[in-house]
Amino acid sequence: MNIIEVATSQSHLIEIAPVQKSDFKNLPVNRYFFDWNEEASFEIFKLTIKGKDDILGLISFERIPDEMRIHVRLLTASVENVGAAKIYDRIIGNLLAYVAKLAVRDFGEWACISLRPKTQIAQHYIDKYKMNITGVTLSLEVPEIFELIELYDHDN
Amino acid sequence: MTMTTKKTTLLNTVEYGVDARYNSQEEKQNDAQLLMQARKDRMARTSEQDIMRAKLMQLKLQIDEYLNSAESDVQHQFTSFLNTYINTIYEKQQQFAQDLDITPVSLSQILNNHREPKEEFFKKLMIHSERIFKAIKGFHKQSWYQVYYRDKINETMAHQDEWREELEKKIKFPAFS
Repeated sequence: MNIIEVATSQSHLIEIAPVQKSDFKNLPVNRYFFDWNEEASFEIFKLTIKGKDDILGLISFERIPDEMRIHVRLLTASVENVGAAKIYDRIIGNLLAYVAKLAVRDFGEWACISLRPKTQIAQHYIDKYKMNITGVTLSLEVPEIFELIELYDHDN
Repeated sequence: MTMTTKKTTLLNTVEYGVDARYNSQEEKQNDAQLLMQARKDRMARTSEQDIMRAKLMQLKLQIDEYLNSAESDVQHQFTSFLNTYINTIYEKQQQFAQDLDITPVSLSQILNNHREPKEEFFKKLMIHSERIFKAIKGFHKQSWYQVYYRDKINETMAHQDEWREELEKKIKFPAFS
């Protein structure tokens, strides 16, 4: 999986791994938008460039095996990777694709990732990731979930 | 632009991310019911081809996870994954045996861990799965071999108390060690 450095179009291999206890002191709200300590009882994964420690994106989620889905709780790129002047592109997509792979591994044909964004950004997720909308919940299932995985799950 | 203004502006952009936490258990349950019904409706319209693709992708991801994990107390994963592979594609194991030009009895013995698969079996399995997994990006046909030998390592290490003492008596070491 990779992200793109916007200024140079250079591709960088990434790693997505669980956040460690020692990471929490390096996750200030002014860089990562949310108080990630509040998510400590859920699974939190971080995105870094391979071989580097700087965290460029974060996702927290809840596996709901009874419903065969993974619900994304919080998702963000670091502040310098947001907006028109962002340094790296594809951070959010990679984090979503990673969780989508977990959902397929755990639930096969019933794989589902869901999230519940505020109204103004829902359309962005529908357009960009082809998410389905049910009430106020957005979700990705088979077959659209394949497209997300294939778009991001490669090293070149 | 002050830090607060900048943050507020960013929070209004679509790219900063999502706060999708439920506000209450009731909200979570209501959403779950609606979503499950919608998913069942969508599943009814999902093609057999997509369902099989999902099952094969699931198998590929489970194989990857096994090969990348440090767990050493898991055994017989090769036959477990092989069983899943066959059951995903065929209604009867016998059909798979026919397609691989092996006897149903020898396949059954392999699947029940009563017989070690031969070299030729692996080669046929690689050729077969290469075609079947064509639509699944990142599947490596040699994964079958890797799972089999990973099983062997796990099995050997898990039973050290059964073989180590006896073998240690037979081994000589150079003086410097």
